[in-house]
Amino acid sequence: MTHYDWGSGAIVKPEEPMKKKNVQIIPAQTDLKRRAVNFVKGFDINLSPEQLEELEKVVQRSSETFVRDIGKDLMDCRRMIIQALGDKTKRQDAVATSSDLAYSVKALGGTFQYPLMTQIAKSMENFVADRTTANEKQLLVIQLHIDSLYVILAGRVTGFGSTVEQATVAALTKLAERYEQPRE
Amino acid sequence: MNAKIDFSKISFLIVDGDKISAQVVYDTLAYLGASHIQRVKTPNDAFDVLRSEKIDIVVCEWRLRGMDGLEFLDVMRNSTNSPNRFIPVIMLTAHSEHRYVTTARDLGITEFLAKPFNAKALYSRLVSVIARPRRFINTGTYFGPDRRRRQVQFDGPDRRSLDE
Repeated sequence: MTHYDWGSGAIVKPEEPMKKKNVQIIPAQTDLKRRAVNFVKGFDINLSPEQLEELEKVVQRSSETFVRDIGKDLMDCRRMIIQALGDKTKRQDAVATSSDLAYSVKALGGTFQYPLMTQIAKSMENFVADRTTANEKQLLVIQLHIDSLYVILAGRVTGFGSTVEQATVAALTKLAERYEQPRE
Repeated sequence: MNAKIDFSKISFLIVDGDKISAQVVYDTLAYLGASHIQRVKTPNDAFDVLRSEKIDIVVCEWRLRGMDGLEFLDVMRNSTNSPNRFIPVIMLTAHSEHRYVTTARDLGITEFLAKPFNAKALYSRLVSVIARPRRFINTGTYFGPDRRRRQVQFDGPDRRSLDE
């Protein structure tokens, strides 16, 4: 009720009662837990370092496939870029293929101990993002990224590389920023 | 005695158009003992599997052909045609920026795993989904696992009271 506050001398209006949101809380589904969690069979919820190492080896099984398949994809994509340089009608496909390739390498490089590839692919992905085509200079920027990725893969440069490799990543990123416009 | 997870009791569906990425997840699950693992490349194929088989956990890539992983999640959580609105979905993606994480969370993702990932990260997401299931919240604007993972002291009004 609105009233006069003798202390402050002000007219005080009561606060609007807060509207409660209609929220339905549904208890957690425990079926999976009931079926799979036990004390007899399976893998410990908290894996030991040795068990984690074994599991990591399983992930690394696909490492050779990654090197082989991505190597081939890089060569195919490079070929498309070179064709697109001389034929404007092929640019849209070349850019789309570059975008897919950049995403794949960014996603998987680090998993297979090639974080440097992930860094370069990230720069390439940012560069081709939201593009439907590219001009000649922009295609050359994409090609430089692809060449760098190929060199790392062919040389099996695992880890983040030395200062030279890091300088290369920085240079590629700067180059991509310089030729970012126009974005069509 | 340590609690264990028997992965042979759980069925998985991997939705990923990337052959190598799908293979890594498949190999990991197979090594852990999962015997029922399905692999598909597109959300439409995923819906076919989900409608015809009993799947317990979906591992889904964000970037997919046709419908992307977020749209797939949206249909799973919010469509009347959803095969299972409560199914746990682990989203794998190389889009690891904060805005992507919050977008996926607000559409009802169960777990988010940024690529490149390692075995430990994938395993911890699996454990979380299986051994620490979360309650579901249904409001006018959100349907999915409770986004409040940590229980912290809060002095403000309780706006999440049950319907009266």
